Amino acid sequence: MRYAGFLPRFKTRFLMVSPFPGTSFYIRSSDAFWLTFFGALLAFMLVLGAATGSYQLSLMKSWHIIATPEPAPDRLVRIIWEFRLPRLFAAALCGAALSIAGVILQSVTRNALASPGLIGVEAGASVTMLVFVVMAPGIIPAFWLPVCAMLGGFLVASFIWSLSSLSGYSPIRLVLIGVGITSMLSALSEILITYGDIDLVESALMWLGGSLHQVSWLQVDVMVMWLVVAGSLAWLCFRQLNLLVLGDKVAFSRGVNNRYIVPFLLLLSVALTSSSVATAGTLTFVGLIAPHIARRFCADRHGALIPLSAIIGACLVVLGDTLGRAVFAPLQLPAGLVLVLVGAPYFILLMSRLRKA
Amino acid sequence: MALNKESRHKVKSVPVAKLTGIALLLLAIVIASFWHLGLGAKSVDWATIWQALVAYNPLDSDQAIIRESRQARLIVALFVGAALALAGVIMQAISNNPLADPGLLGINSGAAFFVVASVLFLPMFDSQYLPIFAFLGAGIAAMLVMLLSGWEQNSERLVLAGVAVTAMFAAMTAILLIVDQQGLEKLRHWLTGAIGASDLKKLYWVYPYLIGAMVLSFTLVRSLNAFHLGTRVAEGLGVNVLLLKVSGLVLVVVLSGSVVAVAGPIGFVGLVVPHMARLLVRNSYLWLFLYALLIGALLLILSDIAARVALRPYEINTGIITAFVGAPVFIVLVLRKMR
Repeated sequence: MRYAGFLPRFKTRFLMVSPFPGTSFYIRSSDAFWLTFFGALLAFMLVLGAATGSYQLSLMKSWHIIATPEPAPDRLVRIIWEFRLPRLFAAALCGAALSIAGVILQSVTRNALASPGLIGVEAGASVTMLVFVVMAPGIIPAFWLPVCAMLGGFLVASFIWSLSSLSGYSPIRLVLIGVGITSMLSALSEILITYGDIDLVESALMWLGGSLHQVSWLQVDVMVMWLVVAGSLAWLCFRQLNLLVLGDKVAFSRGVNNRYIVPFLLLLSVALTSSSVATAGTLTFVGLIAPHIARRFCADRHGALIPLSAIIGACLVVLGDTLGRAVFAPLQLPAGLVLVLVGAPYFILLMSRLRKA
Repeated sequence: MALNKESRHKVKSVPVAKLTGIALLLLAIVIASFWHLGLGAKSVDWATIWQALVAYNPLDSDQAIIRESRQARLIVALFVGAALALAGVIMQAISNNPLADPGLLGINSGAAFFVVASVLFLPMFDSQYLPIFAFLGAGIAAMLVMLLSGWEQNSERLVLAGVAVTAMFAAMTAILLIVDQQGLEKLRHWLTGAIGASDLKKLYWVYPYLIGAMVLSFTLVRSLNAFHLGTRVAEGLGVNVLLLKVSGLVLVVVLSGSVVAVAGPIGFVGLVVPHMARLLVRNSYLWLFLYALLIGALLLILSDIAARVALRPYEINTGIITAFVGAPVFIVLVLRKMR
């Protein structure tokens, strides 16, 4: 990916960072700059998101309540800490998880257009959720629903994987078979939507559109766990990812064992995607766009690309959620739908650029 | 002149096998139609159906059921199947791509979005104008997909562009339906491709466009035959390739836009039928068109029967059945054709 022309150019310098005593690694100064920049942007978005809503607060006030909740009035603290913050954190975490999954998929399939939605994980997880919500409400306690969604996602993804490697794996086949299976699953969920009880269907539709309105701190905790475990495992594979981008043969000749590392990475991306589907429903296009935006700033160096696209993805979903709450004010649009409206035109731009190159 | 005479002579030698195939398909359609007409909450025997069609007696309640309610659904299914299949053949021919399909490429969902938007926001327009909105949406979606993937791009690009455009229009439709809850209740059946919900009145709005597009598409046969040999060859034979592609795309837009206006977005018929037809005839687009029309109509009647039998007493929407039939075919195609 070409480095964007309008950005300031950095001389390649390296900073030494030692987060813990005894451990230290080098980081390019440009990467460090962009990581801090987008980290600050994310923090700003979170404060902004906490301020917006049917009870509007000023930016300073929301910052004060987040930083020091004690002196503020009880009511405001409850609004921010009980209602808005879990939702915003969940949005940020889902965005980060999906973006990491997107980076992995795009690098492994060497396909700039791959995204977690395309390999059927989202469809599998959402159909499982729909079955339990609409067909048999109450059979499974709400706490276990995400686990079921995850199982569904795994199941569908492994089915697609085994189908596409029937006669030799190829990235194109993986994506296209994903498209086929996804459309079959969406036909199944359409049956459920059309014939289910209309009240259950309406809440299911909100969830399918990627809505965060029912998120609690518990879900945020679960999400943090998944993101930390799977995300850091993915980050540890950044060298292998760097080589896989260059082609299977090159990677193999440099000592990357494709047969094990590729399924492992795909597994990580499935885990990240389905955990975020379980929390927030389908957030299409985040996993596609965020890695591309991040590549503008740090090219294909996955050591920096993975954290940077995670932060950018988090920014995107927080922004989408805030917009969805603010634009049609009493009505809430799901973040996923807002993001599609932003994401699809970007995708169009992306494809037309790719054609020229 | 001599050349011309010779080719005319060739056409005169009657292709018995192909004509027999057509006759057999017609027979199958007739049988399937009788089955379709007889099926329902009250099953009607075939003799009564024959009576109702030939010598209609409005006093007989069975005959009245056939003529008043079931016949309309059958006719809609016939037209929808034929139009979608033809759209699929043209789409696959002009994009030179075995995976092209108006549903998969987002044309149907574009049309659906425009129809939903016009129903919710422009109620002053008579529903007679629905096809126009559907054409508009289908045209915009088709232009987007084609711009995205380029004319000469590979299958993968085209399908992915279609997925993106479908996602965009589906999301916009979903937002409209969330903003307007009443609209959801009214339109949720139509949105998954419901033949049962449509009636002959809707067909009256679109049939001039449908028939026109079907007839006009036969004028493309010669150029398509040449184009099948490759762009260079076609240009050498005097085919205006750009004009061919643009007119083909316009025909696809009109065909699938009318189908969406009548019966909602029904996917995968346009993908599956051309491949089935190609198993029977390979060399000429004239025969391919004829076979595709018949097979498409047959397939849709059969899926409509399946939709009504599978979950009795409920009905599944026909679009869902075609997706269940079509998606495995798509996967098999990918496994076979993509290396």
